[in-house]
Amino acid sequence: MLAVRPGVPQPEDTVQFRVSMEMTKLDIRNYLERIYNVPVAAVRTRIQYGANNKRNHRNQRVKKPDYKVAYVQLGQGQTFQFPNLFPEKEQDAETRSFDDFRDKFMEKEEQKQEGDPRRGGVPDWFGL
Amino acid sequence: MYRGKARVRPGRRHLGKGQPPPRAPGAVGVRGAMAAAAAMAALGRSLTAALRLPRARPELPGMALNLYHKNLPKIETLHQVKFLHTTVSRRGLEEFFDDPANWGEKSVKSGDSWNIKQLRGKSSEDLHKLWYVLLKEKNMLLTLEQESKRQRKAMPSPERLEKVETSMKNIDLVVREREIALRLLQTGHEKPVPGEWRHDFLGRTFWYSYKEWPIPWHLNKKHKKKRFYYLPHVNHFIRLRLEKTLRKRARQQSLERTRRKVLERKFPDVAVKAQSQ
Repeated sequence: MLAVRPGVPQPEDTVQFRVSMEMTKLDIRNYLERIYNVPVAAVRTRIQYGANNKRNHRNQRVKKPDYKVAYVQLGQGQTFQFPNLFPEKEQDAETRSFDDFRDKFMEKEEQKQEGDPRRGGVPDWFGL
Repeated sequence: MYRGKARVRPGRRHLGKGQPPPRAPGAVGVRGAMAAAAAMAALGRSLTAALRLPRARPELPGMALNLYHKNLPKIETLHQVKFLHTTVSRRGLEEFFDDPANWGEKSVKSGDSWNIKQLRGKSSEDLHKLWYVLLKEKNMLLTLEQESKRQRKAMPSPERLEKVETSMKNIDLVVREREIALRLLQTGHEKPVPGEWRHDFLGRTFWYSYKEWPIPWHLNKKHKKKRFYYLPHVNHFIRLRLEKTLRKRARQQSLERTRRKVLERKFPDVAVKAQSQ
């Protein structure tokens, strides 16, 4: 069972989960109330069909697995908003030095692509 | 071993009813005792943070979750056991997410997975608690993985998921061992349902578990039609099947060897380091 960020905006008391196919609404309610101590008002579920339109290198259809989606409404006036798990943090010295190195390298590569500036636009193949 | 045709199926018994888990006599040594002591010392920490660093989250800045102290008494009314809680955290839906200090980090430190020797030294109650700690950890990591996929960012320390799954598998193994030991003591049988190895008409071997039938087998036409033997001309095909599996395994092994050699030739320094370890 995993909480997911809702793709379609949901009411603020609703949490969206992906649960295993075998879990029923009652199972989900018991799971959340007993293991996580979360008051549950209502549970709705649906089954998401995994796409079947991709082909592999042998031109066989590749099916993505189906999964069950649960929309859980919290009780007792609780609200939930999915947090941002990847906030922008200020970079440490290592990342910054790596970024600098990459930028310098890319500049040099671009210079190489353009060719020698001293030749004044004369192509490479011309000359000794 | 189990020749009885219709044996009464022994009921599934629960562990943790007071009987200590049976152990092999040679298993308890000085090392085992030390490991057990260390493991017990680690248990207090481990139960609260199975694979994570110990945490303190007094405030949650980024998360708009209405689960603070003013709501807690209301939740408690749902459950009977209130005064026994010591270390169980009541964080509700926040347990689906990692420690806010770890959000946005490139990597998160984690300990090793629980191996089977450590888990054998634990009581069944401890295993039961640890299972739920690991389950919550796994849910948290799955949530993180899905969110990282959605945002197309690298998941911080994805090896944690594997560690949790190994630990859960090991707990399952230990519980099964104890169940079997208890069953051997109580009924003298290793398996919950008696059965035997049988062949089908193609010479494949499978486990046939006995069950109760409403009528005797010699009156049961459908059962009499089943063939639990194979004729001599099948021997050739059994041999072919065996050869096929052997060839497949040999091919996989040689492929692995070749791959290893190529890697060692490409990265000789790493190969030397790996061999010296």
